[in-house]
Amino acid sequence: MIKFEDYIKNLNKKLHKYIPNPMTPAEEALYKPLDLFNVPKKEAEEYKFRAIKYAFKHHYENNSFYKKFCKENSVTPDDIKSIDDFSKIPLIPDKFYKNYPSGKEFAMWLATVYTGELPNIVVKKNDSHDEIINKFNDAGLVISYSSGTSGIHTFIPRDQRTFNSAEYGIAKSLITMLYPFWEPDINGYLFMPNPFKTNVFAGKVCSVYFDVIKDVQVALDRELTADLIQAAMQNNLKGRIIRYAMQRENKKMINRIINWIRKNYKEGNKVGMVGAPFILYFVMEELERNGESFDFGERGAVGTGGGWKIYEDKRLPVKEFREKVEKLLGIPPENCLDLYGMVEGNGWMVHCPEGHYLHVPTTYYHAMVLDENGEQVSYGEKGRFAFLDGLATSYPSFIISGDEVRMLEHCPACERETPVLEPEVKRAKGDEMRGCAEEMRRVLSMDLGR
Amino acid sequence: MFREWKEKEYIPPKQMLKLFIRGGFALSKVLLKNLGSLKEVRKEKVGYKPPERMYELPEYRPGMKFVKSDEKYLRPTLHCNPYSKEVIALANHLGAFEKEPYEYAKDAFEFTKRKIILQIVPLDSVEATLRRGYGTCLHKISLFIALCRVAGIKARYKLYALTMIQQWFDTFMADPLMQEWYDAMGYFMLHGEGEAYIDGKWIVADVGPTPERQAAAGIPITKFGEDSIGIWFQAIPGSIMRTESLPLGLTIASKLLMKKISPGSVAKMNNNVLKMYEKGRKILQEMGEEEYDKKARKGYKMPEIELEQKSIIFE
Repeated sequence: MIKFEDYIKNLNKKLHKYIPNPMTPAEEALYKPLDLFNVPKKEAEEYKFRAIKYAFKHHYENNSFYKKFCKENSVTPDDIKSIDDFSKIPLIPDKFYKNYPSGKEFAMWLATVYTGELPNIVVKKNDSHDEIINKFNDAGLVISYSSGTSGIHTFIPRDQRTFNSAEYGIAKSLITMLYPFWEPDINGYLFMPNPFKTNVFAGKVCSVYFDVIKDVQVALDRELTADLIQAAMQNNLKGRIIRYAMQRENKKMINRIINWIRKNYKEGNKVGMVGAPFILYFVMEELERNGESFDFGERGAVGTGGGWKIYEDKRLPVKEFREKVEKLLGIPPENCLDLYGMVEGNGWMVHCPEGHYLHVPTTYYHAMVLDENGEQVSYGEKGRFAFLDGLATSYPSFIISGDEVRMLEHCPACERETPVLEPEVKRAKGDEMRGCAEEMRRVLSMDLGR
Repeated sequence: MFREWKEKEYIPPKQMLKLFIRGGFALSKVLLKNLGSLKEVRKEKVGYKPPERMYELPEYRPGMKFVKSDEKYLRPTLHCNPYSKEVIALANHLGAFEKEPYEYAKDAFEFTKRKIILQIVPLDSVEATLRRGYGTCLHKISLFIALCRVAGIKARYKLYALTMIQQWFDTFMADPLMQEWYDAMGYFMLHGEGEAYIDGKWIVADVGPTPERQAAAGIPITKFGEDSIGIWFQAIPGSIMRTESLPLGLTIASKLLMKKISPGSVAKMNNNVLKMYEKGRKILQEMGEEEYDKKARKGYKMPEIELEQKSIIFE
């Protein structure tokens, strides 16, 4: 079996274009450690303190709205002297990034939220959200957004450097946990929108998948824009036509994926399937209906992420999902891992194969669990997930999320050094999907669920 | 006349028109689909007792000061007559022409926010609202605007479509018909705030929810100058409209919906609001308003943003 050190070195060779030189302290904390989830506590804290302090100082000095927010909270970078002081760093509710104007003011909102100077960008008065984003992206930025299942997209302005870190981070985190499964000579299927045809973050960040393995197929190969998602959510003729077209396309998609599975199984290839769990769920449902199953064994791996979105009603507990994967694809539970992350951050929590607890990276990312008053709760208590992310240089990524979690200081199932979140993450009370979520359910579900 | 309507923005802007058409279409569809349930809902007798007015109306005396102007944002508009006796009397009672404009507008905000209870009733004049002591958020905004205009402070409406927090959703989705309408729309049709122009800046006034309702929902009590968007509401992007007047057509639509189509649903909503008000009143009584607000604000603070152009060039 390949040594872990060589395994990660091989990955770094494949991803050399993502690794910057020179590095910021946060980048050092991402790129230098061999195993992000197994850095000794003292060393991890040294990395983390430098990474977060650097990021906080950077945003304080170069972002006017965040500086004002810090002043209102009477905090300056000089107040951050140790990790214990991280609790003083003002956190931004995730809803902040959902609260943007439209038209030319949207461009100004992106510019204001962005930390530092921007290149010249020409915007027309009547440009749509997507047109404005594309203009920013043409100028070298990577603006992306959430899937918008709550009815409103979250827009995040990353620069290329931050986006590279997010991509490298997701690949390294998942591949680390899948050790020794990964090798470049794998065939992959991405259950996401085509990263090169969308600005939806969950899809876009997966472009790194094309750099780590030799052949990748994409489930949703059409162009997916914010305007299209919004239009599809409408209950009018245009919305219905879009939904009808999607419905037809989705049936074909499931058949394409099944044919790909059949072909690779027959040829004895190693396969990696990555992406939204609900797509694989619908594939497995179809296999079950056909009375068909496979036995990939150690030749297969599944990495899921992004949650169940509009298919919340179909959500399987992660354990049942793994059992279904094992039953129908023959992929063992150790090779079926879920991943938790969000558009506002660049940290990726990944299941360990031993117990499927979500391990939190600790070198560049500081995770917290807060009660309703914004106070940190002890390990083992439930609360709202919050984090300080050192990797984001283009926007302040010090966030209180709408997710409810329980964090444990040590993993009950493995010896890795990092704290863990319990395997399932849910929306906190009051942050459940509302409104357009019901409409979105109609957009993509249709025949997939039947 | 048409020119005057256009100038005073009685004609709804394109976004609002789209909102109304979509809302109307969604409602018609829901009603057509649920004719049977609609009959049931209409037959249903819902007990409802409107709340009592919480204040004495100040007496109007001839010669009371007020500003009469034809300037935009100062003149009378639909349902918002700053020269009505009730408004002039209240403005003088609240200290118009004696206090600094900011202080006066703040007191007008506090009066409207705290003393006028939210109840769903068809749109009508500000003096009717004052006499009654309750009305929708649009009634309350109109009253705040009238109180500003009569004192020579320019004021306007900030209207938008919103998604709302769960607690308020539970209050307004009084029966399956309302819920289906909301689901078909994906958002609540129209909500708003007032804005007063003081010292070269538009200052937002979230007069809609009383402190009691905010306490019942566990959210902070909005102060003058504090926007509720982004904290407990999400405005649907692109739906924010700033206008001098409420649009024509809204009055008939509100009458039709509230009096004819489903008065039972409206009565249920109003009862829910009153229950929520009572619940909040107890919370504030037990904790004290200051202490409650301090607690509610912990962990909820939203950064304020002033838009910058940086190096963006607009064509």
